Amino acid sequence: MTMPFYVTPEQQMKDRAEYAQKGIARGRSLIACIYDYGVLLVAENPSASLNKISEIYDRIGFAGVGKYNEFHELRSAGVRWADSTGFRYSREDVDARSLANVYAQYLGTSFTDGGKPLEVEVLVAQLAIRNKPTKIYHIAFEGTITDETRFAVLGGDSETIRTRFVSEGDDVTTLALTLQRAVRALSGPERSIPASDLEVARLEDLGARRTFNRLSDDFVGQLLA
Amino acid sequence: MALPLFDVTTDPGPSFQNLLKMLSIPLSVPGATDDPIHATTVVALRCEEGVVLVADRQATAQAIAARDMRKIAEADRFTAIAISGTAAAGMEFIRISQLSFEHYEKMMDETLSLEGKSNYLSALIQDVNLGTPFTVLPLVAGFDINHNRGRVFEYDGAGGCYEKDDFGVIGSGTPFAESALRLGYREGMSLAECIELGALAIYEAGDNDPFTGGPDFVRGIFPIVVTVTSDGFTEQPEPETRVIFETINQRRTASKGRAGGELR
Repeated sequence: MTMPFYVTPEQQMKDRAEYAQKGIARGRSLIACIYDYGVLLVAENPSASLNKISEIYDRIGFAGVGKYNEFHELRSAGVRWADSTGFRYSREDVDARSLANVYAQYLGTSFTDGGKPLEVEVLVAQLAIRNKPTKIYHIAFEGTITDETRFAVLGGDSETIRTRFVSEGDDVTTLALTLQRAVRALSGPERSIPASDLEVARLEDLGARRTFNRLSDDFVGQLLA
Repeated sequence: MALPLFDVTTDPGPSFQNLLKMLSIPLSVPGATDDPIHATTVVALRCEEGVVLVADRQATAQAIAARDMRKIAEADRFTAIAISGTAAAGMEFIRISQLSFEHYEKMMDETLSLEGKSNYLSALIQDVNLGTPFTVLPLVAGFDINHNRGRVFEYDGAGGCYEKDDFGVIGSGTPFAESALRLGYREGMSLAECIELGALAIYEAGDNDPFTGGPDFVRGIFPIVVTVTSDGFTEQPEPETRVIFETINQRRTASKGRAGGELR
């Protein structure tokens, strides 16, 4: 009779975490930060059509790193969740914290249950309105939610990028300056990322109900100049 | 609610209507009661710059139920949607259409074309109307940014969609409004001319049809005038619509209520 190998739970979790982290580290990173009028989302992304950043709802943005098809599925599910919640109750009741929770629930279950753990990290950002503050929720591959106060970095090299970003100053400042800092943190001192390889979007009140908008390469170029 | 995930074979795609079905959320449009009155009049005219829509403000049950209803809504930046029929169903219809277009845009990262929107609504009308007496009839007008011109779409109760190359009219005041438009409409009219003609058509409908409200000088409530051009959806501010209807009213007072010739 063959006996199954015994693997300790610690080892099992470690292996799964390692697997997920490796997958995530293969892609480029992204950074989300609060500036004086909203939230800025910056990703290094050479593709102009396979987006890492997208709109979820009037005041909620989404960003993901790792395996494209996996975070894309989470993105679609987020839009569906938000639109159907808003339809059933009201637009005001669609809240980033609840969305972050359902993401965490899903990622957490996928991590511990049998199948392949998801190789993604996602982020949900919310622009302040009345009683809801501006928030950035970072959800890791195993379902841990972190409520970031100023900025969040997702992806393989996040610790280095985080340190670089903090070293530039920790204050809330203008859109242009925040973008410059974010791009410098993503690229590091040795190289520079051209505007065409950046995917940039923001959540800001510009008079419309929907606050999410993408920044064109030209505009990004101007802000970086 | 948990995260709505679907496998590839049951994925509802970018359609909000399909999503609601998958999630078993009913399209909460109520069926008609016994009296499906088209208590409204809305006109949409094509002009050089795009389209102009004018709608009265009255909702009617056995008596007047509301004098300040808004029957034209911004479905998205380049699309206006107007409704006739049961008010509750109409308002819900607008809400679902707006959400559907926005949902598509977010899911696909691309805006649905104007023709795509008009076809999508056909299916929605079928869902809402069939099986009950016809309750909602929309009118869709917008600026087609892919073809660079204004377009108007009318529907029948079974969801049939008809594109009009001049103007569209819906609601109980249709015979009166349409007569005014048929006599006054010319090819290649400007935005300003269309606003004037559209306002006149609604004035006529308000004058003759008991379910359509004309300008209400006592309460300062005037029909809504909307334009959709390459700059997007714009509602004319109240002081301007007031002037438009005051002008018509003065002409009509001078002619002792007779409409015709230069006195229109």
